[in-house]
Amino acid sequence: MRLKGEFQGQEWQAEAQLIKGQLWVHINGRTLTVEPEKKSTRRGGAKNKSGDIVAPMPGKVTKLLKQKGDSVAAGEAVLVMEAMKMEYTLKADIGGRVEELQCSVGEQVSLGKMLVKISASAETAGIKA
Amino acid sequence: VRKFKRIAIANRGEVAVRIIHACEELGIETVLLHSEADVGTRAYRMATKKICIGPAPTAQSYLNIAANIDGARAGGAEAIHPGFGFLSENADFAEACERAGLVFIGPSPRATRTLGDKVSCKALAKKLGVPLVPGYEGDDQSVETLISEAEKIGFPVIVKAAAGGGGRGMKVLRSKEEARELIESAQREGQSAFGSPKVFLEKYLEKAKHIEFQIFGDCTGRVIHLFDRECSVQRRHQKIIEEALSPSLTPDLRRKMGEVATSLATHANYRGAGTVEFLLQDDSFYFLEVNTRLQVEHPVTELVMGVDLVKAQILTAQGDPVFPETQLLAPRGHSIECRLYAENSFLGGVPSTGLLGEVKFPEGPGRRYEYGFEAGDEISSYYDPMIAKVIVWDENRRRAIEKMKKVLQETVIFGVHTNIPYLLEILSHPEFVQGTMTTRFIDTYFSQPLQEPTLSELEKAVVATAQRSVRSVETGGGSAATEFPSPWLTYWRGI
Repeated sequence: MRLKGEFQGQEWQAEAQLIKGQLWVHINGRTLTVEPEKKSTRRGGAKNKSGDIVAPMPGKVTKLLKQKGDSVAAGEAVLVMEAMKMEYTLKADIGGRVEELQCSVGEQVSLGKMLVKISASAETAGIKA
Repeated sequence: VRKFKRIAIANRGEVAVRIIHACEELGIETVLLHSEADVGTRAYRMATKKICIGPAPTAQSYLNIAANIDGARAGGAEAIHPGFGFLSENADFAEACERAGLVFIGPSPRATRTLGDKVSCKALAKKLGVPLVPGYEGDDQSVETLISEAEKIGFPVIVKAAAGGGGRGMKVLRSKEEARELIESAQREGQSAFGSPKVFLEKYLEKAKHIEFQIFGDCTGRVIHLFDRECSVQRRHQKIIEEALSPSLTPDLRRKMGEVATSLATHANYRGAGTVEFLLQDDSFYFLEVNTRLQVEHPVTELVMGVDLVKAQILTAQGDPVFPETQLLAPRGHSIECRLYAENSFLGGVPSTGLLGEVKFPEGPGRRYEYGFEAGDEISSYYDPMIAKVIVWDENRRRAIEKMKKVLQETVIFGVHTNIPYLLEILSHPEFVQGTMTTRFIDTYFSQPLQEPTLSELEKAVVATAQRSVRSVETGGGSAATEFPSPWLTYWRGI
C-alpha cells in the first residue's frame, strides 16, 4: 500500500506491505524490513559467530568434509551446499572439534537448519580469551 | 521460407517472457514447456499453451531432452526456442529436435559442437591464428593430471566445466594446496548443471576485462557482428552488470576483435545469434569462448544497435533474411543492464527465497524491464536466483549510469531481498564510473557483505507509520487476502 505523511515539515511517500508477518517498507530508494514480533528494525540479519553452522539458505548438502570428532581450524571448510545451481562452501567460524553432524549428504535442508555443531577446543578458546 | 504457427519454449523465467513477446509480435502462438514448480510465473500466464514436462529438479524437466521433445509435439509446435542456459547449447538436443521434425531455433548441431565445446572451439581458433590464453584441454581428466597441468601453466589457474557457461563450474586455483578441492567441486558442478564433469584449465588473467562480440549468421550463410559488450563486473564468474558498447576499446581493437569474431563464426557456418567472448589485458586480447545461443545481456545490444535479436532468430529459422544491407547497423548512445538477483546484499549475497510481494518498476524514457515473476509468485530455490533484468539507454555512458541509479532506487520489490543496494554501490564506485574495472573488480572492492546502514530519523518515523497502517488494514477484515494473493502456497506445502 502507498503511504504518505509529513516528518519535520518534509513530505514523504512510501510503499509498505506485510508479507507473512514481515513488514516491507520502501522509502527514498531503500527497502527496509521489520520483524513485527520483536519490534526491532533491521536490514538483512546478524551473522552467526558461534560454533554452530546453520544453513544460510535452503538447498542441498552435497559434501561433508569433516566427520564427527574431527578437529577444525577457524575458517576451514566443513561442508558444501548447493542452492540455485551454485555451490557454497560453509566454513567454521571458530576452531575446535566437530561435536555433532545434524545433516547428511543429499539432504534437502531449509533456511536456518542446524547442520554442524563445533565445540571450541581448549587451546582455541584460550587464544580467543 | 515457411511461417511458424506455433513455437515451443524450452525455458523459464524472464527469457521465456522475452520469447513470448517476440512470438506474439510476429503473430506466432507459444507452448511453454514448464516444470511442476513453474506454474506461478509470468510466462505461464502469458503462453498460448502450457505443457508440464516434469518435476522441479532440472534434470527431470528443463534438462530432460525427451520430455521437452514430447511436450513440444504434444503442444503442436513446429519449432523450439531454447532460450539460454539449460539445453540451449546442447547439440544432442538440437539433433533430437531435427529427428522429431521440429526446427531448433539456433545454430546447426554441427556448429554448436564445433564452437560450443570449448575444447574443439579452441582448436579452430588456433588454426585461424586467434590469440588464446595458455591452458590445458586434454582428455585425461584425472585430478592428478589436472593438478600437474595447473602447475605447468602456473598459478593462478582457472578451472572450467567444458560444457558449461554462466559461471557455474568455474573456480580459480591459487595454489597447489587448494587445487584438489576446487577441481573436484568444478567437476561436481559441471555434472549437476550440464550433465558432464569434463573440465579444462586456463591461465587466470588477474586484471583482464571481459569483452564480447554479438555475432549473427543469417539464413543465407552471411555472418555479421553487432558490435561489443563489456561484462567485467562479475562475481564468482557470474555477470552482474553488462553494457554496450565497451568503454575500453580503441577503434583499432574494436575492428580487429570484430574481424576475429566474424571469422570464427563464418568458419563454423554459424546460423543465428551467438557471442564470441574475449579477455582484454594491456591492450592485448585473448579469445575465450563462443556461446552458441542468445545471451542474457542481449538487450543492451538491442538498444544500442536498434535490432530485435529474438525476432531475428525466429525469422532466420523460418528462412527469412534479416539485417539487409540497407539497414543501418551503427551503435548509438550507451546501454547498461543490471541483473536483479534474489539475495541479501547485507549477508554476502546468500539467496533469498519466498513469496514475492509488490513489484513496481518506474516508468520513463529509455528503460526496459525483463521479468519472469510478479506479485504473488513464489521465488524457489530450485533455479538460479535472477528474478529480473533492468536495462537503460541514454546518449552516453555517464548519463546511462545516472539513469540506472535513479531507476534502481525507485524500483520496489517486496517479499525477497534483492541485490539492488549492492548494484547501487557498484554503480557509484569510481573505477566503474571511469570504466576501468576488470574482472577482479568485485573481488577487490566488494568481497565483504555490505555494511547495514543505520536508519535515519525519517525512516524510523515512516516505519512506525507503516506498522500502524498495515495493522489497521489487517484488522479491517478481508483485505489482507486481496493484498497477498498466494494461490501456490498450498501447492508448495504439498511438496
